[in-house]
Amino acid sequence: MAGSEGVECAVPMAPPEPSATAIFYRNLAWLRFVDRFGRKGSHIVEYVGGLSQLVGQALTGCVSRPFYSSELLHQMDELGVKSLSITGITAFVTGGVLALQTAYSLEAFGGKTFIGRIVSLSLVRELGPILTALMVAGRVGSGITAEIGSMTVTEQVDALRAMAISPVRRLVVPRLLAILLMMPVLTAIADVLGILGGLGIAVLEIRMTFQDYFTSILQQLQISDICSGLSKTFFFGFEIAAIGCYNGLQVEGGATAVGRATTRTVVLASICILISDFLLTKLFLAI
Amino acid sequence: MSAAAPATDRLPAALPRGETIVEFRNVWKRYSGRDVLAGVNLQIRRGEVLCILGPSGTGKSVALRHINGLTHPDDGDVLVFGESVVGLSEEELSPVRRRVAMLFQGGALFDSMSVEENIAFPVREHTPKAEDEVAAIVAEKLTLVGLPGIQKKMPSELSGGMRKRVALARSIALEPEIILYDEPTTGLDPVSSEKIAQLIVDVNERLRTTSVVVTHDIVTARTVSDRVVFLHQGRFQFVGTFEEAASNGHPVLMDYFRAMGFPCGTGVFRAIPKGE
Repeated sequence: MAGSEGVECAVPMAPPEPSATAIFYRNLAWLRFVDRFGRKGSHIVEYVGGLSQLVGQALTGCVSRPFYSSELLHQMDELGVKSLSITGITAFVTGGVLALQTAYSLEAFGGKTFIGRIVSLSLVRELGPILTALMVAGRVGSGITAEIGSMTVTEQVDALRAMAISPVRRLVVPRLLAILLMMPVLTAIADVLGILGGLGIAVLEIRMTFQDYFTSILQQLQISDICSGLSKTFFFGFEIAAIGCYNGLQVEGGATAVGRATTRTVVLASICILISDFLLTKLFLAI
Repeated sequence: MSAAAPATDRLPAALPRGETIVEFRNVWKRYSGRDVLAGVNLQIRRGEVLCILGPSGTGKSVALRHINGLTHPDDGDVLVFGESVVGLSEEELSPVRRRVAMLFQGGALFDSMSVEENIAFPVREHTPKAEDEVAAIVAEKLTLVGLPGIQKKMPSELSGGMRKRVALARSIALEPEIILYDEPTTGLDPVSSEKIAQLIVDVNERLRTTSVVVTHDIVTARTVSDRVVFLHQGRFQFVGTFEEAASNGHPVLMDYFRAMGFPCGTGVFRAIPKGE
């Protein structure tokens, strides 16, 4: 009966029915996933809603009294002038590296004469604004969240409200305006320093002349390139200030919560800057 | 009115001295699934010092923050100067907040400003006074709180007690009608606590304000209060004078007094002159 045994073995066995407990846990896992996804989604919607509300109040505060002009000047110094060193050094070094990499890459094609063009175009259209924005997000965005967050947990923000003074007008509006005004200035200076960094490498390492470098730049660079680069900075500055202030005002707890909010600001502002840079670049190229 | 007089002499609970200036009407507030305020009713009279007593975490500060609209109730109504403050926007609350000052637990002085700038801040914001007038107000309020001549110091240079006194000077800079004190003596040594408590009484006398003091410190309550209310499980379990509270017999209140080191039901409070 060996043959009949073989036939029996060839018949496929039907898979066992899952037990009621297994079905329950499988459904439970799904429910947990849906629940977690829903909670995350609701947090995002809540965050975006709160941020939009704050932006609306801040924009109203920008065009109505009272104005805190001395606070605005103070913030322009704190957020703008004091960021000059980090944004300037970043742009200067990046310009130099760009010149070196370009010379190395284009040497085989005799493209050394393009160094000025490539460095200036890259910096003015893209690298100047984006690097400045990322540096400002790191230095200023985190600083805003830490400062306002500390004020929130030590009840200084509540003290403002209790004195019938709007925290949005007093804290958010001056910072928002200061960044909007200073970002184009910082970016323009960064562009110039980046081009000078490239010039240094071009002259000292690649043995170009000043004249060749600048002629190459002037042949290529248009006013529209400069406008395209600088106009992006308003959007970047707006994102940094809005996210920094909102995260600071939302802090609950103590020093740990301030630290977490600060990190969140840098991460979120950087992501928003990169995404909006892509969208703005697409937009400006289409115009 | 002497600071050394018993609380009941200053404002007997049975004899209402002034009109109702603040009123809680069936106020409910829920946090994290717990009713912090569960249908609270209370009337605060003009000119009195009312202490809200109770253990930490029972919602005393939450109740206090309803008065100036920093917190809104889930249900019920809060009337200040006869007007409801529930559901008002920040701008609509401004007129009320100019008449109601608040002293926060940690002082909430602005770190970036000197003592002078802190005290002058609400004056500069809400009045068109010239700088010499503002400087005079700052000097006067600092003298009132017993800290003359520290205008140029920064908050970081002050001790805890001094910070609270400067914060009090800032609170009274606009001469408010109501002052809300949130745990004014917490974190202070007994001597500083006594100074602050005495200051609350003095300020209330001199400026003819109404004061609402949230505290878990029975000594402070004894020193400053005309009436005390005891908040427990979301409700005001007791309303009356300090002496009545000490001899009331309410089991939870008695437990609280004993836990704070005060024997109850022995008449000991009547024997201790106020302010000692």
